[in-house]
Amino acid sequence: MSAVVWFDDVKAGDELPVLHKGPLTTAHLMRWSSAMENWHKIHYDLPFATGHDKLPGLLVNGSFKQQFIVQLLKDWVGASGWVWKVNFQFRAMNIVGESLEVWGRVTNVRRTKDYGLVDLELGIRNAEGKESTPGTAVVALPYKDGPALPYPFVPPQE
Amino acid sequence: MTLLTDEVRSYIGVEGPRIAACDVIEAGAVRRYAQAIMDRDEAYHKGHPDVAGGRPIAPPLYPVFMFRAPFDSPDYLTERASDPDFDGAVSGVSNGLPELPLHGFALLNGGAEVEFFRHAEHGETVYQQARYVDITERMSKSGPMLLVIVDTLYTTESGEPLMRYRKTLIRRRG
Repeated sequence: MSAVVWFDDVKAGDELPVLHKGPLTTAHLMRWSSAMENWHKIHYDLPFATGHDKLPGLLVNGSFKQQFIVQLLKDWVGASGWVWKVNFQFRAMNIVGESLEVWGRVTNVRRTKDYGLVDLELGIRNAEGKESTPGTAVVALPYKDGPALPYPFVPPQE
Repeated sequence: MTLLTDEVRSYIGVEGPRIAACDVIEAGAVRRYAQAIMDRDEAYHKGHPDVAGGRPIAPPLYPVFMFRAPFDSPDYLTERASDPDFDGAVSGVSNGLPELPLHGFALLNGGAEVEFFRHAEHGETVYQQARYVDITERMSKSGPMLLVIVDTLYTTESGEPLMRYRKTLIRRRG
């Protein structure tokens, strides 16, 4: 289990440890398609992807990339924190064969009565540094001298 | 010619039924899922301290992707094997909502807003209920497209919220 990340120790500008994924092969995409039992051809049928859907190649699933974003946040906050809100936009495609870096940066910290909230910006960039999946998140962290987070999570009255 | 016809627009606000995933959260399915996303979190098989009794949990987004084809569902892969426009996407897209009248349109994932409330635990049944929140038309470099916003609430059998998932689907002519 990871060490506790206390709200008191987090400040705007802090960078999360980068999560590396890849290079992502057709086998990775097929394993993911099989795990979720969805057979959208743009992830494994090259003639369909490029011919019918006019795509530049086999796409790394958006459903796959969002798993990485949530993993980045979950691993950072650990079992004592809570990933409350995440949003992401698939602005650019990632093609099979790419290696991805999932990143996050603290943009703001806010105190509530029982726990702290941390705002983050995040994204996924490939080896060329091209951003494909910009987004934001809000996570909750405990105070050093405060109670454990409520579970199930109780959002603050904002 | 607009893609956002009156027929398409009539789906805005339509809510689907509350439906259960065909399987409970199973250890084997969680294992395959966790291995596929390359997340080695021990909470998925050894248990999580948040959960009473230390039961294992599913990966956070797992409820979104556990609505699979039950035993008695049609075999679309076979039925539509000769349809050159069939894109193979047979689950995880409609969330129990009626399909939009956009046959042959390409489907792309535009992103999502997610809110988490509680872990989904091994052995639990997960329910979903979805609604078409909005459908708008935009012009892109490759022509007009529709942005379809679907909001889905995932709950336990007793109705306890697990997560809310609001996704944007991009539909354009293939």
